Amino acid sequence: MMKKIKGHIQEAVLLLLFISCLLPWCMGILSNNAMRYMIRIFLYITIGEMWNLMSGYAGMTSLGQQAFIGLAGYSMAVATTVYKLHYAVGLAAGAAVSLCTAALLALLLMRMKGMYFAITTWVAAEALGTFFTGWRYVNQGAGMNITIVPYPRTGELYPAALILCAVALASTILLLRSSLGLGLTAMRDDASAAASLGVNVGRNKLIVYLIAALFTSLAGAVFFINKGTIYPDSGFSISWTISVVFIVIIGGIGTVEGPVVGSVVYVLLYEYLAHYPGWSNIILGVFSILVILFMPKGIVGFVSGKQHRSLIIR
Amino acid sequence: MYILQVIINGILLGSIYAMLGLGMSLILGIVKLTNLSHGEFVILGSYCSVLFSARLGIDPFISLLITVPVMFVCGYVLQRVLINHAMSRGAEPALLVTFGLSIILKDGMLLLFSSDARHVSAGYSNRVIKIFGLDISLLNILLMLLSVLSILLLMLFLNHTYMGRAIRAAADDVEAARLSGINIGRTFSVAMGLSAATAAIAGFCVSMKWTFYPSSGGRYLLIAFVIVVLGGLGDIRGTLLSGFFFGLIQVIGGANYGLLISYIFMIIVLVASPAHSAGSISEK
Repeated sequence: MMKKIKGHIQEAVLLLLFISCLLPWCMGILSNNAMRYMIRIFLYITIGEMWNLMSGYAGMTSLGQQAFIGLAGYSMAVATTVYKLHYAVGLAAGAAVSLCTAALLALLLMRMKGMYFAITTWVAAEALGTFFTGWRYVNQGAGMNITIVPYPRTGELYPAALILCAVALASTILLLRSSLGLGLTAMRDDASAAASLGVNVGRNKLIVYLIAALFTSLAGAVFFINKGTIYPDSGFSISWTISVVFIVIIGGIGTVEGPVVGSVVYVLLYEYLAHYPGWSNIILGVFSILVILFMPKGIVGFVSGKQHRSLIIR
Repeated sequence: MYILQVIINGILLGSIYAMLGLGMSLILGIVKLTNLSHGEFVILGSYCSVLFSARLGIDPFISLLITVPVMFVCGYVLQRVLINHAMSRGAEPALLVTFGLSIILKDGMLLLFSSDARHVSAGYSNRVIKIFGLDISLLNILLMLLSVLSILLLMLFLNHTYMGRAIRAAADDVEAARLSGINIGRTFSVAMGLSAATAAIAGFCVSMKWTFYPSSGGRYLLIAFVIVVLGGLGDIRGTLLSGFFFGLIQVIGGANYGLLISYIFMIIVLVASPAHSAGSISEK
């Protein structure tokens, strides 16, 4: 009973958040700057939720999700700039390319675990980056401009990013409540025990990996429309993983709310740290090490832990 | 004759790669930690050799006498005050802490040394000597001698000192080692110190041989990882052999394709090697 109510509270809060993000846009009171921040938050939530689903629930810590971000960005650039297609086609193309790549990589990755999985995802992303740096069709290291006529304004991207983020969150919640999600949690805690109880570990991991690739690539595509240019160094950069690890760790790994809190903190902190050029990543690094050591469940875990304790005391 | 030249160059280059893999192999084999900041240790070693040889005006090889002890202490302290604590919380937090460290080190070096390409050269850097009609770079021979000497010293240490035996015992079975009175925290710290010291030597080789940037670490981390997986964890002779093999691939692949080939090669190795599917490291 308690669990049921708690579940509905989660949904209600998320719905409320969704409406409170959508309403100001409908009324047109958001400045372009505010919308730009919000878009970044939405996209980071999407990528963060997906990384969290993989690392926090399925026990697959990836250091190479930037592979899908880069692929989606380049698909967008090629579809809109070279073939003059609508950017929706670019989105679809990016998702398709990423899913195919993910399916291919999954052939290798699904047999690995722990650090081997982590390193292989990273190597794969680096290899893609190296390949794009040398590929003449995409201008090698010089990168590509994304030209869309007419170029979508920030006001148009805002609802797209918001809806993407909402769908990603809803899918995460639904996935975790399904038998697949329960299997995932069991799998993370003890893969062999879960397998012996009839959880199809391989299939669950594959599904999570593909879903993560899909949403990560969509978020990447929207990000690069917003940005307008793509280089191998920006698309396939390890700094995507740095950001997303920070977001999930700070917010609270293994919780749905974690990446949401983490993204807000990250975007605000990053904006603040922009006054200290060169120091921002160092401060983020120190911050995340401290959180791992002293607050291993992140902000969300810290806060909810306090709540539970106070309930028990009463 | 050309083929002989390629093979010799590959082997000489391979000794540098073996040095790169050695530190990683120590830390993976003994501490059972994936140190994602190993590449930054290497580049830190490169910057140390730039700094000491340029500022003090001494021969780059002599600067190693300062760099290696300094890096040993850095590694020891880092393991002692930070990574041991993270490891007590599990494998994943430890992995992420080293990831955080790599970011801090990379951006720290960027602040200190700017993003310019650096290189160390000495008077003999471009000298070529002829042996049996083959042109061989003197620098490559010196670097190879340095690497082989370091590896021999390390093997002597591991086989013939109390600490070395303690390290090997901890590598085999942490609990059994602890029960026989070995201070695991200190042993791991010494192992990390040794790993950082070998990274410093590898970094020195990198700085003499190629140009490097603060952001070059990731690349050397991956190379180190390929070599370790190929050679077997904690197996020093295996590391040496796979280093030579990797050097050959680089020389054959050339400047354009060497890196891409090595990445693809590494994925093949990872898929083909049985170690990961048995989970031998993650579950130990």
